[in-house]
Amino acid sequence: MGVLRDMLTALRGGASEVGEAIVDANAIRILEQEIRDAESAIASAKQSLTRMKSSEIKLKREMATLDADVADYEQKAVAALNAGEEALATEVAERIAELESDRNDKGSEQAALDAEINKIHAMIKARERTIQKNKRELDKVRTVQELQRATESVSRNFAATGSSSHRVSAALERVKAKQENWQDRMQAGEWLEGQEAGDDIDAKLRAKGIGASGSGGANDVLARLKARQAG
Amino acid sequence: MILDDLAFRLNEYSGEEGTTFDALVTERGILEVVCSNNDEFPIHLTTTETQLLSVTPLFSVAEVQPDKLDELNRTFLQLSPAVPLSSIGLQGDTYILFGSMALSTRFEVVAHELEVQAENTIDVLEAVEHLLA
Repeated sequence: MGVLRDMLTALRGGASEVGEAIVDANAIRILEQEIRDAESAIASAKQSLTRMKSSEIKLKREMATLDADVADYEQKAVAALNAGEEALATEVAERIAELESDRNDKGSEQAALDAEINKIHAMIKARERTIQKNKRELDKVRTVQELQRATESVSRNFAATGSSSHRVSAALERVKAKQENWQDRMQAGEWLEGQEAGDDIDAKLRAKGIGASGSGGANDVLARLKARQAG
Repeated sequence: MILDDLAFRLNEYSGEEGTTFDALVTERGILEVVCSNNDEFPIHLTTTETQLLSVTPLFSVAEVQPDKLDELNRTFLQLSPAVPLSSIGLQGDTYILFGSMALSTRFEVVAHELEVQAENTIDVLEAVEHLLA
């Protein structure tokens, strides 16, 4: 059964209180037990598979030997016939019939074993599906439990401070103020960088004697005064 | 333990957009992460056998204006597909924003998801702020 439906039933039933188990601990134990059961079933199925497989290999080998024997005796029966040994050929033919019946017995034994092996393979696949499905269900349960745990501590704070109205708005305002403050500082930083870069250019220009008149202020003043006197 | 390792690396790390992280494993085994882009709503991380879960508790049902509850739920259902990497849910009486990642997720991707979740939290809360008490 789906765990999600169980959880919703529990929630509707009023298990919404923080800290209350949303999912029945029993349901989790059952899922875990099913996983363990399926895993041990798979382990023992794999053991019997190994046994069956070795029986099957043995059967096939025996069948091949019988086939070879039949072929051998057939040649011998033909040789006996060719030699006119009718009675001997009949004896060989009887032997061939025995071998063939033996081979057929082993053939049907092998077919039955094959069917059994296929059934076990299908069973293992089904169990593996159960395991995967239960693991997914368990993960849903764990997710809900962990979400609950992660929410719990803070919601207790909500309970303590939640009665004060506009808690969220106040917090939002503080965050936005900090962000603006940070942006202002970023802009200030950029402005300062620009200033420093500008100063740098002016300094370079002065060094090359371009732009604002450089040193030697006294000489300039004297020259200006002399020019005025002459005028 | 994966959460301890994650905490250690997050504390050393700075994201592409300059986001830094304060990470701490609580005594209950939950990793609490405060992202510098949203330090008011910490993200709580925990694990299952296969997943890393990141949860940001938003607010409790009691904090919603009682006559706006249906509107809030509908808004959340509409918003959910539009919020990248995060889902919105109700855990007990607490609305949460949450994400889940495979345990094998690369550290940089985890850090990025946390950054986005912290950002999404602000977006989502702004969208429903007017429905809260």
